[in-house]
Amino acid sequence: MSDSEKASDLDDGTDSARAEEEKAATSGTVDDAASEPDRKAPDERENITTNAEKDDARKIVTGEARYTADYRDRFPDLAHGKVVRSDIAHGHVESVDTSAAEALEGVDAVITPFDDVVPDKLYSSSGQSYPEPSPWDLTVLREHVRFVGDPVAAVVAEDPETADRAARKVDIEYRELDAVFDPEEAFDEDAPQLFEANEVENKQSGADYSRNLESHFEGEIGDVDAAFENAGDRDNARVIETTWETPYQSHCVPEPHTTIAYTDEDDRHVFITSTQVPFHTRRQIAHLFDVPIRDVRVTKPRIGAGFGSKQEMAIEPIAFALHLAAGRPVKLEMTRREEFTALRFRHPMRMRMKTAVTDDGDIEAMDLDTLSNSGAYGTHGMTVANNVGTKPLPLYPRVPNVRFSGDVVHTNLPMGAAMRGYGAPQGHFAVESHMDEVARRLDLDPIEFRLQNAVREGDLDRSVAILKDGDRFTRKIRSCGIRECVRRGKEAIGYDDLEQPEADHLHRGVGMALIAQGSGVAGKELGAAQVKMNEDGSFHLQVGGVDTGTGADTMFSQIAAEVLGCPPEDVVVIAADTDLTPFDYGAYASSTTYISGRAVKNAAEDAKERLLEWGAKLLDEPPEVLDTGDGRVYSRETGNRASLEEIGYEATYGDDQREHILGDGNHSTDESPPPYGAQFVDVTVNEETGEYDLNKLVFAADCGVAINPALVEGQIEGGEHMSLEYATSGGLSFDDDGNPDVLGFRQYGMPRTTDHPEMETILVETHEPTGPFGAKSIAELPTNGVPPALSNAIRDAVGVRLTELPFTADDVKAALDEQAGGER
Amino acid sequence: MPNTGGISVDIELTINGERTTVEAGSADDLATVLRQHGYIGVKCGCDGGTCGASKVFVDGEVRMACGMAPREADGSEIRTVAALGTQDDLHPVQQAFVDNFAVQCGFCIPGMIIQAVALLDSNPDPSEREVREALSDNVCRCTGYQKPVEAVLDAAGRMRGEQSVAADGGQPASGPPQPGESAGCCGGGCDE
Repeated sequence: MSDSEKASDLDDGTDSARAEEEKAATSGTVDDAASEPDRKAPDERENITTNAEKDDARKIVTGEARYTADYRDRFPDLAHGKVVRSDIAHGHVESVDTSAAEALEGVDAVITPFDDVVPDKLYSSSGQSYPEPSPWDLTVLREHVRFVGDPVAAVVAEDPETADRAARKVDIEYRELDAVFDPEEAFDEDAPQLFEANEVENKQSGADYSRNLESHFEGEIGDVDAAFENAGDRDNARVIETTWETPYQSHCVPEPHTTIAYTDEDDRHVFITSTQVPFHTRRQIAHLFDVPIRDVRVTKPRIGAGFGSKQEMAIEPIAFALHLAAGRPVKLEMTRREEFTALRFRHPMRMRMKTAVTDDGDIEAMDLDTLSNSGAYGTHGMTVANNVGTKPLPLYPRVPNVRFSGDVVHTNLPMGAAMRGYGAPQGHFAVESHMDEVARRLDLDPIEFRLQNAVREGDLDRSVAILKDGDRFTRKIRSCGIRECVRRGKEAIGYDDLEQPEADHLHRGVGMALIAQGSGVAGKELGAAQVKMNEDGSFHLQVGGVDTGTGADTMFSQIAAEVLGCPPEDVVVIAADTDLTPFDYGAYASSTTYISGRAVKNAAEDAKERLLEWGAKLLDEPPEVLDTGDGRVYSRETGNRASLEEIGYEATYGDDQREHILGDGNHSTDESPPPYGAQFVDVTVNEETGEYDLNKLVFAADCGVAINPALVEGQIEGGEHMSLEYATSGGLSFDDDGNPDVLGFRQYGMPRTTDHPEMETILVETHEPTGPFGAKSIAELPTNGVPPALSNAIRDAVGVRLTELPFTADDVKAALDEQAGGER
Repeated sequence: MPNTGGISVDIELTINGERTTVEAGSADDLATVLRQHGYIGVKCGCDGGTCGASKVFVDGEVRMACGMAPREADGSEIRTVAALGTQDDLHPVQQAFVDNFAVQCGFCIPGMIIQAVALLDSNPDPSEREVREALSDNVCRCTGYQKPVEAVLDAAGRMRGEQSVAADGGQPASGPPQPGESAGCCGGGCDE
């Protein structure tokens, strides 16, 4: 019996409830995607489930892998850029004196918002579809500065040190304006206003810039107010409300944002750049600088991770303007200080969660409201806030009344943006801590309470339906291993036989959080790929998808190899170059395996058809009885076979009508099947000091069929690391004038090797019929779990509830003191 | 081209066994100079001395090259990650990082490998705690440190002549096991 069958056996949904939901699900306009024929037992799809060596691993361990900055030696005349940033939180630039900087030997140019090479068009830096669901509120350099770190001018010079020195000599005079730093104060009528009406285009739903409101949104299923009223009137039900708060988090990308911009010998504008979104960047550069898309080429070399911070055209326009000013190739490389103060972050939020629940643990209504601090600009502001509800609330899809609302407001602080998890880490903290609190107040087992209400295969997926009307996005859950994740996670953490420490002041507890994410942006994705065969039986795979360090290129080669019947190393991957590869939206929203991977599969299947045609000619058998495998086309009937090499040579050089064997594949869908998980945390709390030790983290994940399980585990362990930081040590702070306190790794609480507890990762296999070889995406899922699971574990250990991230020993101690005070 | 913002000085270095004279600007750090001379396995991930990506051996000692003035290294012997092994003939630590999938974006990996080699030189049989302490100033954002720590422990075992416990079951990198050729629980080296 396969793992997936085991998973569904454990489903505890009653048959009649299941039947009713099935009926509801199928009576709508649910697109019942046909099950794929590729559901094979694990040992029959070894190209998929094997841990193929990561294709760049040897280059990385020998230091030969080239990231953007390592291309400097290709450009003997390379100049170096440096950005001059605002040192006030809010104001207008009155004048920029560049003379002292320009007088320095070795300085090519100094550019300001008032120069011709610097576009004054409004745009969004968000690497999203077109038009971006983010306001156009940025200019390349800024006359109206809105946070400490806003780019005002930039210098290009012979070498980095000269650029630095020149940047310090740029003299900017400001007319300062009042600033606002608290998102709730930003709403006030007399609060300083960040944007005038003519300073934003492409406004998003519910915007009211007179109140610094970038977006307001809400959606409701059923009648939430009536349900709360009804529950309040009854003895067997109650209404429970909680509030939660999260801080800024830094992506801490290992490789700072770096771009080399130049114009090549064919007059085409080329960007070698650390980006997750080459095609969106190409489009945005073209629009911003009024050049045809076809004349812009964006290439992504190896990239030192992104985590969403590179789902942004954060520095490319400045690099290009400097290139135009200098007339030679320019490299612009961010410092770590710029990464921590001026680039992009996870949005801080305040959330309120309210449920109506019966004493038996049936949830009658859920209401989640979020206030997101977008900082100075609106990139990803609304869409991240949307995900606060649309990712975790559908964990409980049978709750009859659900409401989700949000406000996204501007303050004079750095800008929130996309970050791995994309609103779901905030949302899971609120929803999954709240659910635990509800269970404990009702004296129910927190896990059983969750499972009583949690999603099952066949449930309607509400992740889009909560905020969007219309049948197009009505769909059902086709794969869900969440109960198996819980069962195996409980076992691994020792949930049922936890031993308490001997010392009286130490208390041990376990907390759990259910987790969901998506696989791409439902209805807003496109991936494409091409396969071309070489005469020796190897293949080139050209794919728009972007490997940000995850091993996606390796995964692509495994998918293609499984279809084409060759080993993965016979597939050469050429990826993420807007000149050489088909289009792709880019690496974000957990889209790479599910969307780009499926495009690869489609392309390989297209090529396989031609392979079988040629095999049929060589073997003199009909293509219908042929298949690929072991580097051959073989007959299922006679066992006759021809090697891919024979076919390659025959198709290329044979006497018969010749053909270059090619395959094309696209993938675009309204589907976004959620991967599921269960995060467990085992903690020991010292009730005297409030200090706590994490004993163990367990993450059990259902990402459908795990393609290259070792790479999948790596995604989970890395995601948990970020989640651990968010729960225990991350966050940015600012002084009263909006100046950042965190300038580098020394001040930022990023966990090191010695801060990590034991981690156990469990892969629970299900089969997602719409995914490539049954796969769903995995990268963001594990970013969501530690804050709620740890809040729940501390509650379990010592009875106090922590509601504000990160949890410090002082927070725990304060909560314990308050509890003791209350009891006195 | 060196940073010309100040006075340039000539520095004598032996880099990965090759003696050379390099020109270093007064504002340059050793990492910048090494990178300018093609040693791109020396990475710069912070503004100096806080992430560990630029670690190299300077006269046998691990140093963050970004926090070191070139003049300080004058006359020294430098070894970067490139000196440890080649893609076809990896150092056991490099091989263990590959086999244990300890590499994701890879930006921090050269520095981590240098530190791991130094650890195993002085302590061939470290505990997990000792590995974690040795790597505690190497910042990695992708892996949660789990597989790098496993890789170092695996490398230690390999260097002591023990069977690999890599995530790939210790198989050669050439591909998956053939049917009927079960890799067993540890790659065939134990009797389960």
